[in-house]
Order: sequence, then structure tokens, then C-alpha cells
Amino acid sequence: MLELQDVSHVYPNGTRALQRVSLSIPRGMYGLLGPNGAGKSTLMRCIATLQTPTEGGIRFGNTDVIKQPDELRRTLGYLPQDFGVYPRISAYAMLDHLAVLKGVNSAADRKATVETLLHQTNLWNVRKKALAGFSGGMRQRFGIAQALIGNPALIIVDEPTAGLDPEERNRFLNMLAEIGENVVVILSTHIVDDVADLCPRMAVLAEGRVLLEGAPLELIGATRGRIWTKAIERRELETLRQQHEVLSTRLRSGRTVIHILADNPPGDGFTSVQAGLEDVYFASLAEARRAA
Amino acid sequence: MLLKIATFEFRYLLRNPLLWLTAALTLALFVVAMSVPGFELGSEGGLLQNAAYATLRNYLMVSMFFVFVTTSFVANAVIRDEQTGFAPIIGSLRITKFEYVFGRFIGAFAIAILCLLAVPVGITLGVSMPWADAAQLGPNRLTDHLYALFVLALPNIYIHSAILFALATITRSMMATYLGVIGLVSGFLVLQGSFLDRPQLRELASLLDAFGARALTEATLYWTVAERNATLPALNGALLNNRLLWLGIATASLAVAWAVVRRGERGVSKRRLKDPQATERVSAQVMPATSVAPLPAPLHNSSSSRGQLFMRVRFEVWQVVSSWAFPLLLAWGLFTTLFVLITQRDVDGRPTYPTTLSMIPEIEEAFFVIPLIVVIYYAGELVWRERDRRMHEIIDAAPMPNWMFVVSKSSAMAVVLLSLLLINVLASVLVQLSLGYTHLELGKYLLWYVLPNAWDMMILAALAVFVQSLSPHKAVGWGIMVIFVLWTQISSSIQHNLLKFGGVPWMPLSDMNGAGTFWQGAWTLRLYWGAAAVLLLVASHLMWRRGADVRLKPRVARMPQRFAGAATWVTTAALVTLTAAGAYGYYNTNLLNDYRSQDDAELWAVTLEKKYWKYHDLPQPVIAHLTMEVELHPEQRRATTRGTYVLENRTSQPISAIHVRLLDASLSLTYAEVIGARLVLDDPEFDYRIYQLDSTMAPGDERVMTFETVRTHLGFPNGAPDTRLVANGTFLDRLQLTPFIGMSYHGMLGQSDKRLEYGLPENLPRATLEDIAATAKPALGRGWAMSDITVSTSADQTPLAPGRRVSDSTFNGRRIARFVSEAPVHPVFSIQSGRYEVKQRVHNGVEFAVYYHAAHPWNVDGMLDALAVSLDYFQEHFGPYQFTHARIVEFPGYANFAQAFAGTIPYSETYGFIANLQDPETLDVVAGTTAHELAHQYWAHQVIGADMEGSAVLSETLAQYSAMMVIKQMRGEDQIRRHLRYELDKYLAWRASAPANEPTLARAEGQNWVLYQKGALAMYLVQKRLGEEAVNRALRNLLERYRFKGAPYPRSLDLVELLRDQATSEEHQTLITDLFERIVLYDMKVIEPVAVHRADGKWDVTVSVEARKLHVDSLASETEVPLNERIEIGLFTAEPGIAAFDASNVLLFERHAITGGRQVLKFVTDRRPTHAGIDPYNFYIDRNSTDNVRLVK
Repeated sequence: MLELQDVSHVYPNGTRALQRVSLSIPRGMYGLLGPNGAGKSTLMRCIATLQTPTEGGIRFGNTDVIKQPDELRRTLGYLPQDFGVYPRISAYAMLDHLAVLKGVNSAADRKATVETLLHQTNLWNVRKKALAGFSGGMRQRFGIAQALIGNPALIIVDEPTAGLDPEERNRFLNMLAEIGENVVVILSTHIVDDVADLCPRMAVLAEGRVLLEGAPLELIGATRGRIWTKAIERRELETLRQQHEVLSTRLRSGRTVIHILADNPPGDGFTSVQAGLEDVYFASLAEARRAA
Repeated sequence: MLLKIATFEFRYLLRNPLLWLTAALTLALFVVAMSVPGFELGSEGGLLQNAAYATLRNYLMVSMFFVFVTTSFVANAVIRDEQTGFAPIIGSLRITKFEYVFGRFIGAFAIAILCLLAVPVGITLGVSMPWADAAQLGPNRLTDHLYALFVLALPNIYIHSAILFALATITRSMMATYLGVIGLVSGFLVLQGSFLDRPQLRELASLLDAFGARALTEATLYWTVAERNATLPALNGALLNNRLLWLGIATASLAVAWAVVRRGERGVSKRRLKDPQATERVSAQVMPATSVAPLPAPLHNSSSSRGQLFMRVRFEVWQVVSSWAFPLLLAWGLFTTLFVLITQRDVDGRPTYPTTLSMIPEIEEAFFVIPLIVVIYYAGELVWRERDRRMHEIIDAAPMPNWMFVVSKSSAMAVVLLSLLLINVLASVLVQLSLGYTHLELGKYLLWYVLPNAWDMMILAALAVFVQSLSPHKAVGWGIMVIFVLWTQISSSIQHNLLKFGGVPWMPLSDMNGAGTFWQGAWTLRLYWGAAAVLLLVASHLMWRRGADVRLKPRVARMPQRFAGAATWVTTAALVTLTAAGAYGYYNTNLLNDYRSQDDAELWAVTLEKKYWKYHDLPQPVIAHLTMEVELHPEQRRATTRGTYVLENRTSQPISAIHVRLLDASLSLTYAEVIGARLVLDDPEFDYRIYQLDSTMAPGDERVMTFETVRTHLGFPNGAPDTRLVANGTFLDRLQLTPFIGMSYHGMLGQSDKRLEYGLPENLPRATLEDIAATAKPALGRGWAMSDITVSTSADQTPLAPGRRVSDSTFNGRRIARFVSEAPVHPVFSIQSGRYEVKQRVHNGVEFAVYYHAAHPWNVDGMLDALAVSLDYFQEHFGPYQFTHARIVEFPGYANFAQAFAGTIPYSETYGFIANLQDPETLDVVAGTTAHELAHQYWAHQVIGADMEGSAVLSETLAQYSAMMVIKQMRGEDQIRRHLRYELDKYLAWRASAPANEPTLARAEGQNWVLYQKGALAMYLVQKRLGEEAVNRALRNLLERYRFKGAPYPRSLDLVELLRDQATSEEHQTLITDLFERIVLYDMKVIEPVAVHRADGKWDVTVSVEARKLHVDSLASETEVPLNERIEIGLFTAEPGIAAFDASNVLLFERHAITGGRQVLKFVTDRRPTHAGIDPYNFYIDRNSTDNVRLVK
């Protein structure tokens, strides 16, 4: 559905935000994983017609996104990573306004759209409140609601679960998954679990490059037998960091559990462990660092 | 700690772009103001660019201007924490309240001071720029800067920052703080011009103005140019008190702020607690996950576009209207407009009836700045709104066509501007109703105020939107627009309306003639600039910032790609309109009319002088008999004049050639013949012709000249349109209709500085008093003649000209009237035509008539009464009136004067006809003016001065004297103080601002403030001392000697001699010398008069007085001279000058020898006096007329 061909973007200050990114994103949920500053938001903006990449092409179905931005906008639902609100306007009025802007023109359609979305995002009770007074979570839910107006065929959500409590997060992800059965949903996040739970396909982006691309399970399969774990004392960590590629450290019952990446058994008390997506993610970042 | 907080605040604010923008703008402003000639900032009429007074004003202005910036700094220092949510962190820190409040204040205050330093730096840089004009600059005195800094600017900044800081701290609301700003600024605006005529309240006004501007005005009142250039006002009196008062208030405000400040979070308001929804929010339960129902699908067609547009416009408008700034702006607009209109005055500061068309220019003037601010401010707000609110990613990703942004935002701007203008109309109507004026003309407001101004402002708004879409930041866009608007206000380098952005020809308004045909030019250019504005908006649309990229280059690169669909045909339509309106405009301004830039016009005048002034001494014949037929077509704005001059050689020399000139570019000579002469020079550029006589004209010979002229006004010119020949209320004189005989200074360049620039002598060549040869010619090219004038006009209008009306008939749709002179008249005339009402009265055999516009009946009876009193006085004291009629004829308020022609007085609608004399305290300007103009039937129309300096003393000064005598007759001597003080204040004010050195009365020439104001005062004092009868005797002698006589014509000195003949003492002679041949100022005041009740019921009154007398030399320097004069001392039971004051309030009024210095005078009165005064009626020219009379303790 969505094809990215050698998309590169250089900011005026010289930052190379995207470097020859090529992706082919099918219908369904698609996870875009990467650390802060990886270029995720730039990529999302490029797809959302908000940024013209310096090079490369983006197509959605038959639409050339760069040449026909208006075409794409008609089927686009976009939740930016960071957005503000107009002052002195309620959630209901703002959604209604956005519904008009998205082409939901008849009053009845708009009422149905706005009310359904307010219920779905659990904002019904505060619909008359000024948006400016919303808490971060409420605002985020409002952002989600507006992205769903008009049954978009392409939904781009940039860090959608930031600021949501676990329950809200679940609800939202379920909703996305349901919608994602029929349309393209791009979910950008740095929370590995979001992707692991939901996305049939994913990509890892770091420093503007695609490090990995594929189905999470396959990717996990590819690291099988290369992830090792051991519970250590905290003071040992520095030494081990020098000896091994440490992917993650976690405190468990007062001891530090580390995961390392190694093609061969490292011995020294390390045991093999079933890799999770997180390990895959960290492993790919580690490999990228090493290559750099 | 305090210092650390202050330093932090200082450093923090140092990063604020507003600071640098303000500092840079201030610096640039002063560099330009000091070094570019003609850029008057703080300085005014004739002052040096860096005159001491100008420097004070500049600092004052900047400190006032800074109120907007400092508010943002100091309020920011307080409110920032709350807005950013940082307050809890600050609240938990271990700093004391004192440190918190004052540390931040000091930091913010220091920043403001830093900003202020841009002024001295700018001035110093400016005066040392290589291109600066040294003649316009004085020394750059450190003391001026120090005085301005420490007395005005720094205290001002301290005062307003402290007050606003306190407001912000106490209310924690930006809005309340801005309200405070508006309060302070409005206070200044109100106090700047109020109570000018109420001396008792002037000191109060000086105290109340927080900026000290009024106090400075009062401290430098009546200062001459020389004083303003070099002198600083003493720091005492009202100025000192003002500073101390406000510094006290400011410090108290800071103390209150410190006492009140609460750190930490503000509690929930009671209202909020009661709000059920607020609690509901807490209980909002997480609902079970719902399944996603299919939502209605969007549609993308023209109906959804319309829906989007409508929604977007409504939204943008709502965002503006619901913002806090908008009601404030409306309130401010309403307030300033109401203020200006309530105090609405004509040019001389007198009230008028609030007619719609006299209100419109007033509102326009009062409300000139606010729409500019609105346009600049809201263009930035609107264009950057999505980005500022970080809403742009969502909005920009919506399927909304690009053009919708520009269209909806421009529409919102239009709504805002329209509401502002309508609010003004409301204010104006309210004022009209409150003054009891119920003739409301809403249509006129709409057509001639709301529409044109909204249109003009939208043109500027389009530019502002365009600039904002180009600029990388909102503040940059604002800065560019502010500079642009300032530049257009100040610079006159572009004069053609087709090139000057938003330029339209002036559309003068008058009740009599509405907008005439003047709207045509204005709206042609409005269409032209409107099309340009549309193009700017299309360009803004094409490079609209959509998405994350704000850089200009990629947006410009994308423009061709976006240029499609509606944009193309809108552009085409706009281009077609622009071209068509531009071409039509050019055709009108440059082809139908003659376009001359100011430089070209000056050059023309200079060339005229260089080429033809050499002929001015050539003996020329004068018009002895004038016959003419004037055919007026007011609707077509055309006049044809066929005339015959009988020219007589009244000189003692033979004349061999006759020089004929036309003095008006709209006039063309279609036929001219001098019998027995041939045309030997015909210069069409200067309309100069020379007819060589076949045989020379011996003295006393006559020749006949016949001519035909056509006056037409086609289309519209670029500059001010002709307002003399109009559909209703035509008023034409000889300049506009007939050829002139001989060279005169008409058409030559008059301004001294311009003359010097072109290498001409500083002043127009004029004969001096000593040049006896000049007495051969009458002033203003006049002389004695007989006239026979026929005027025809449209059937529904009344044609009028000087002379006895011998016929008046309507024939063939034309009304034709003939006017024949009954006595010798000047060969000058006023041709008038309009749809008049007429009111007549026969008084002592003379037929009075007032021809007036039907809507202006108020003062018609007053005029007739004044004519009657004047005629009686003049006939009794001066001699017979030469005509059987006296007419007053109203003309549209395009000009503001009354003028005397033979038996006929054209009188402007705004000068008297709409004057509102209902308030008894209002000076009766109508009676005065009417008497003055009727007096000209003697002083100008019976006696005319020689063509030399001082000639107008014999017309204007004597007309002023005559009017004073009429007023004295009508109101009694005890009412004369208000009239004399009016003249005195005007004289002193003009004297202070006049650039050239003051001439003596006998030599005055063109200095109307000397001829009229000083003249009235001088003549009044002479009649007071010599006696009214003696002065009138002198005037009768003047009339007897010169009435209707030819050369030699009288000089001002002849009048002085005749007055001297009536003098009976040396004291009188000295007085006449002082008044006519010297410039003498007095400074008299009463100091704390005391009345003590005696045992016998009477009162002991002790009056201390102080007096000095000064001579002013030709270089304006003053020297004190011994004073030994007998001057009136008065004791009263009311203040002289108020309306209710009359003879019964006078307890004592007698002359005492005043010898200068301080004197104590003692009196005994039967009743207790409330007021005591020295020269209480202001007979003398006293530099400070307010302290002549004081309350008795």
C-alpha cells in the first residue's frame, strides 16, 4: 500500500534526519521503533505531507504523496507526536470543526462522527470542557479521536500512548488493532511492547536509517541463540560492559540481570535466554553502533 | 540573593527578542530622525532636530512607548511562573518574598533601562552621521540627555513598571496588566489636551499625567523657538510635584505588591468549586473498550469546501473576537473616540454642532493609529496562529485546500476591522445624541467612513499577511510592518498614488456638498490597490507555510506548482482590474490633469520667479471698469467667463506693453484681445502673455481688453482636488476665473527654507516701510473700479456676486442674476452658487441677507444681529457704509475662513455656521467674525494700504479693532477679558512656534498672529488709554484722507501718525511706540492677595503684585527695561472672564502706578472680594496671563 523509495531528508542546519529510507508498508498495523532522535517523526511528517523530503518518493496506493498532497490528506488520519490546542474551545467544538475540515460535511454525519469518537476515546463527559484545560492523557485521547475522523485509509500515529495510563493504553491499542485490519496504520513509538503486542510488521529506525525490517516473530527468530543472561552484582557491571555487548540491564530482587549479545556462548555463568523483541531492538541498535 | 535573582532575571530577559527588536528600532529611529532633514521627531516647526525641547520630548515619547514593552518584561517576570507551570518549583525554593518580588523587579527594570540607552546612543550617532544637515542641528548637550533621563524617562519607566508590576503581582493576570497599560496611556491622552481653556485645572492636569508630559507642556508654555532650542525647564512647580507624586505612587505600589504577593499555587475559585462539571471530571469512569463502528465517510466536493470555508471563517473570527485583546481594543476605540468627539472642537478650539460630516474627519483623526495596530498585530496572530498553538500539524494535514487559510484569515481580519469602525460610528452617534443632535445620517457614516477606511485597512492587511508569510518569525513580520507604516507616515518621497502603497486621492467632505465628485478618484485608486491586495493574498496563498517546513526557499520553489485552479483566474481577474483601474487612474491624474511632483511644482515656481519677476516694477495699467458674464455649470464643474476690462494707466509713466497672466492651472484663456495691441510673448508653461501696444498709453489713458476663459475640472488629480467649483456651494474668485494684469508674487515660492535651497533670497521680495516709491501701488493688486457682473447657474441654485442685484430671473433652465457696483470697489469678486436658504432683514436702509445651507440654521440670527450692531457702530463712528446691502453666503467647509468682498461675505460652514454657542462660556466667534468682516467694508474696501510691509495693519488690525468695539458694545467692557485673553493666548502660542523672528506690528507682513492677535490687543489698549473717541477720530481722519483715493496709498505708519495726533501725553506716545514699533512683553502677577474683615464691617485687602517689562529685539533676545506705568488693579466677587461675570462683580477697578519688582497695595472694600488682579482684563501682552488674577485668601 505505502511505498517509500530512498527517502532522504536533510534539515537546513545540516542534520541528516533520514538517509535513503525505503520501506514497503502493507495494510495492517506497522510498528516503527527507534530511539529518540532516530528520525521517526521526520519520516511520519514526510508521509503525512507535512514535510517534503529532500530526496526520494512516497506513494500510497495510486497517490504520489509528494506531488499530490491534497489527495493523500483526504484519506489521512494523523496524530502528531506533539501538538497544542486552540484556546477557548471545547473538545466537542474542536472535533466538530476538524470533522468539517476533513470533509464530513453534513450535520448528521458530523454529529455521529463526533459523538462516536468522544465515546470511544472516553471524552464524552468532558466534551464541553475547554481543550486547553485538558490533562496530558485527555489531550492525547483527543488527538487520537481527531485522527480517526472520516475513516482514513492511512493512519499515522506518532507516540500515541505517551501520557496514557495502562488501561487507556490498552483500549487505544485494541481500537487501533481493530481499525488496522482494513487500513494502513503506522505506529511510531519507542516502547517495544506496543509493537510486540500489535504489529504484524515493523521496522527499527536509528540515525535516519532502517536497521531492521520484518515481522517481529521472524526478527526474534533471527536472534535466537545469541542472547545470554546472568544475574550479577551491580559493581560487576562496568567490567562486563567492557567484555561484552550489554543489551539491557534490569533490577530484579536486588540483583542486576543483564542481557548480552554474543554469537557464541560466553560462559562465565551466562545462560541462553529466549529473546524478546526488546532484545532484538537493542541488538540492532548495538550492531548499528558498532558499524558506525 | 536579591542581586542574584535580579541578575538571573536580567540575563533571562536579555534573550528576549522583543528587547532587541525594541532597542534596534529605537536606535534606528533616532539615527534617522537626527540625520535626515524633514524628519521631525519631537522637534516641530522650526526647532532644531536636537533642540533641548525636542530631546525632552523624544525621551518622553520613548519612555511612554516603552510602556508596552516594559509591561511585557515586568509582567512576564511575575506571571511567567504560573504560565509555564514553574510556580510550584519556585514556591518551594528558599528565597524570601522580598527577594523574589524585588529581585525580579530590579532585573526587569534594568532591562528597560538598557533599552532606553538606545536613545542617547541613537541621537549621538545620528547627529554625527556624515549626511546630517548641520544647519538643522545644535550642539549635542550632555545636560539635555541627563535632564531628560533623570527627570523624565527613568522616572517614567520606574513609575509605570512599578505600577504595572504591582498590578501583575496582585492580579496575576496579563489582562489586568494590559488594562493598566491602557489606563495609563489613556490618562496621558486625555490629559494632554484637556483644560487648555481652564487655567485653574491646568495644574491639576499636569499633576495627574503619570508620564509628566502635560507638566512638561505647561512648564514650556509659550516658549519661543530660541528658548526651546537651548533651554531646559526649571525643575520646580507642577513638573517637580508631578515627578514626586508619581514616584511616590510607584514606590507605594511596589510595597503593596510585596505585601500582597502569595507564592505558590492559587486556590480554586469559589465559582469553580460550585461548577458541577468540575467535579464530574473526577468521576469520569473508564468505559469498556468499544468496538469501532464505521464512521461516516467524508466527501470532497464544492459543497464541503464551502462548508469548510464557512466554518474556518467563523472559527477565525471567533478566535479573534473571543481573545482578551479584542474587547480591550474595542473599549479603547470607543473610549478615545468618545473622548475626542465630546471635546470636539474646530481649529481654534471652539465647539461645533456635531454634524455627521464634521464628525467623520474627527473620528478618522482620533482613530488613526488603532486600526494600524490592529492590522499589524492581527496579521501576525492570524498567520501564525496554528504554529503558535502547535496545532499546525493537525490542521495542515487536513484535506483543506491551501487557499482557505488566506481567505478565512483575511475575512477574519475584515470582520475585526469592520467591528472597530462600526464601534466608532456608535461612539459618534452616541455623542451626537448626547449633545441633542438627532439628525442621524447612518448612510453617510457607512459610505464615507466605514467603507473607505475598512477598504484601506484591508489593503494594508493584505500586505501585512504577505509580509508575515514571507518572514521567518512573527516578530520579524511585525517589525517590518511597523517600520513600513512609520516610513509611509513620515516619508514624502513617493507622491503618486499609483506608486504609494494604498495611496488614494483626498476625498474632502462637507455637509453642503457631501463627497461631491471626489469619491470617484478615491475609489478608482481603491479598486487599483484592492486588486494589488488580492495579488498579495494570492502570493501569500502560493507560499503558505503548510507543514513543518518554514523556510522560504522551498515554499517559493513550490509556488508554480500551487499556481493552479482558482488561483489562476483570481490572479487574472486581479491583474485585469489592476491594469484597468491603474490605466484609468493614470489617464485621470496624468493626462486629464497635470501631475507635478512637489519638486516639479517647486521648480516651476522658482523658474517663474527667475523668468518673470524682473517685470514686477514695470508700470502697468489697472482695471478701472470690469464687466463680465460668468456661466456656471456646477454639476459639470465647468465655468465660462466672458469679460471686458477697461484698463487705465494710473501711473505717471507711459506704458508700452501690457502683461497678462493666468494664475490657475485649471483655467484656460480661450480668447483675449487688447484693442490696439498685439501678442508678442505667449508662454503657455507659465501662462504669461505680453501685449505690445501699438501706441503707448500716456498717464490717464484707457485701453479695452476683452477675454474669455474656461474653467474645467476633468476626472480627478493625484493631489488635492479643486474644491471651489462644486455641485453645491461654488465659491470662485478672480484667481480662479480671470486674467491678471502685471507680474505679482502670486505663484512664487513662499517658504523661506525652500527659497534658500533654490538659491533665492530668503523672503519674497517686499517693499519696506521706508520705500516711499511703493506707495504708488495698492496692496494685493487692488485699486478702485466699477463692476458689472452677470452670473448664471443651474435653475435650482442661487447665483451671487458682489454688487447691487439689478436683475434675477430664470430662463431656459438657467438662473441669471446681474450685480452692479454702487460705489468704487476693488476689481475682485466672489462668484457663489448653491442651493441656499435665505434669511433677510432690513436695518437702517441696508438690506442684510444670510444665504445658508438648510441644515445649518443655528447662527443665522446671530449673524444678522451682529451685522446690525456692527453697522450702527461703524456708521456712527467711522462714516457712511457704501452699499445698500450686506450679504453673508455660506460655502462648504473645504476651507475654514470668512472673507470680505464688496458688500458680500463668503463664510465657511465650519467657520461659524456650525459653531455651537449654546454654552454661555463659549466665546461668541460668530459675532466677532461677522463684525470683523463687515468692518472690512471700511478697512480694505474704503481704504487700502500701499503694497509694502505693514499694509494689512490698515485692513486686518483695524477690522480686529472694529470687531472688538462691537463686542464691547454687545457684551460690556467687563466681558472683554475673555476676548482679550483668547487673542493673547493665540498670539503667545503662535509667537512661540513661529520660525522667523517676530516683526513689529507696523512691519508685520503675512504674520497673521501679529496683525490679528497682537493688533487687536494693541488697538484695544490704545483706545483704553487715549479714549475710544480719540481712536475713532483718528480712524475717521484716515478714512477722510484716503477713502477711494488712488496713489499715494497709506502706510501703517500713517495710521500710527494719526493716532499720535490724538495722543495727549508723553505716556501715550511711548505706548504707541511700544505697541506699533517695538515688541514689548510684560510679566505681571498677583501674589497671595489677602482680605481681612474689619470691625466696621469693611474689608482690608492687601494685594502684592510683581511686574516686569521686557523689550524683545529683532533676534528674539529679551532685555528687561524699567517699568513705570499706571496699570489697572481690580478686586472682584467673581473671576473675570467667566460668562456670568458682569459689572456687579467689580468692587474696584482703578489704575495704580506700577514700578516693577514687588509692590504691596492696600485697599478697603465694602464687600469681601474673591478675586484680585493686576491688569485683570489682560490689556497688556503678558507672557503668563493666568497669574494675573488670583483667589483672595
